[in-house]
Amino acid sequence: MNKFIFQTKINFKRIVFRNKAFFFFDMLLPIVFYILYTKILVSNVPASYLKAWNEDYLVSMMIYACMLGGIITTANTLLEDEMSNFKLFVTLSPLSNFQYYGSMAIVLITLNLVSSIALTAVAMIVNHVNISIGLLFELISINLLGTILLILIGVLISFAKKPNTVNLLTNLIVFPLAILSGLWWPINIMPTWLQNIGKVMPTYQLSVIDKNILHQTTQHIGPFINLLIWSLIIFLILFIVNKIQKEKGLVTQ
Amino acid sequence: MTILEIQHINKSFGKKIILKDINLQIESSSIIALVGANGAGKTTLINIILNLIPQTSGQVKFLTNENWKQITGVMMQDNIVLHRITVKEIINLTRSYFDKPLSYEELLNISGLKDHQNNLMTGLSGGQKRRLAFALALAGDPEILFLDEPTVGMDSNARNDFWQEIDRLKKSGKTIFVTSHYLEELENIADRFLILQNSIIAFDGTIKQLRSREGQSLVEFDSELNQIDFKNLPDVISINLVGHHFQIITNNVNQLVTELTPYLKAIDNLQVKQSTLDTLLLNYKENNHE
Repeated sequence: MNKFIFQTKINFKRIVFRNKAFFFFDMLLPIVFYILYTKILVSNVPASYLKAWNEDYLVSMMIYACMLGGIITTANTLLEDEMSNFKLFVTLSPLSNFQYYGSMAIVLITLNLVSSIALTAVAMIVNHVNISIGLLFELISINLLGTILLILIGVLISFAKKPNTVNLLTNLIVFPLAILSGLWWPINIMPTWLQNIGKVMPTYQLSVIDKNILHQTTQHIGPFINLLIWSLIIFLILFIVNKIQKEKGLVTQ
Repeated sequence: MTILEIQHINKSFGKKIILKDINLQIESSSIIALVGANGAGKTTLINIILNLIPQTSGQVKFLTNENWKQITGVMMQDNIVLHRITVKEIINLTRSYFDKPLSYEELLNISGLKDHQNNLMTGLSGGQKRRLAFALALAGDPEILFLDEPTVGMDSNARNDFWQEIDRLKKSGKTIFVTSHYLEELENIADRFLILQNSIIAFDGTIKQLRSREGQSLVEFDSELNQIDFKNLPDVISINLVGHHFQIITNNVNQLVTELTPYLKAIDNLQVKQSTLDTLLLNYKENNHE
């Protein structure tokens, strides 16, 4: 247990406290987008529609923040560990993979938690969005569960092991996924075929669950099953890629 | 006492055979040097022992009741350089991994980085990173230590201190498994040599046994003559020629010097030495087994 706590402490220092660029990138970018799309780029919108838009966009940016932390920060941190030989060092030490990845997940989940709270605070102050503590707790809990799936995607990208490839993959996945899932602008302004693709994406389904929580409407089992299936698929791909790389002597996991 | 057993290890990448039926027993309190040409499979063998890559067949057994990682220390070829973390933090983090770690002060002394303990790892020089890597390998007070090219990047003083520390560790009962391209360093310290060649352990024994098998003495000189002039002398075991510098391995140095008498006018800087691991390995590759 001692080693897990120590590892987590060190991870906080190197990933968050001494890496301000990541911290501000993960936290500030969604806040900037939120203000931009709810305050600056909207005009002549009926007040009733604007209220719902401000609430829904808060959910979208919460999920977007989870994507930045879960996918980009995870992939980059694991790549950094690979390049600095820390991953090999850990593999040869008594620290288990579960403890290594677990301690990193705690940091990233905390980062997303702080990010979600900061976003909500901005939404309350800037747009007077009204969310009870209970609803906020539910939203954050669900998003943190979703973050685990996003972290798995980040881990998978880090297997590319080359900085250029990892950067390319994160850009190719995060931004199209955000657009397709309707996180930046409403999904119904896109062509139907694109909407159909977007609605299969886990981040869209996560936003459906979040919006149901926010508007206190009935939850359906579909989005949860979608997230479960995506998690299983990503986990399976991770397992296979890891096995292939280990056979080739390329892996330190 | 045997601490590690390697049984019938085979490793192939596709059709290429890297290791063929490797069998070893590693005894405690000894220094074992694994040597061989580049690409001979040394790193592959170490990686298999450390479970970094799977073997095609065979078994590696650490004969301990504990988790083998608790009794093993590893210093790999490439240094660990964790970003945004200080020397003090990485030492304490590594200590936290082990059940019975050495004290922080002891590891700091081994690393020789007392004045740099609050510096970031990324700011250390190559030699300092190497010494830190060595201290981290010792963090768990390991019974068996794997050192892959440990002195690369160290200056001569640091290398000297390093081998003295290795000798001290051996005397305290540790087992050290080492690979290095600085063969003259291994020659003075290792108890047992394993020569990996053509996918097999081609030699397993002491430097004394290797000398008695491959030639005790080395006769060196400079000459404009051709290799062929000396090749047929009865006491020549092998000749290595670099430019005009001859190195001849022999088991009968007095007789060889007598045989060289007719050529003395064409020979400069004649020297007789005990054969080195370097020349023995060269001889081994050329004559015996390739």
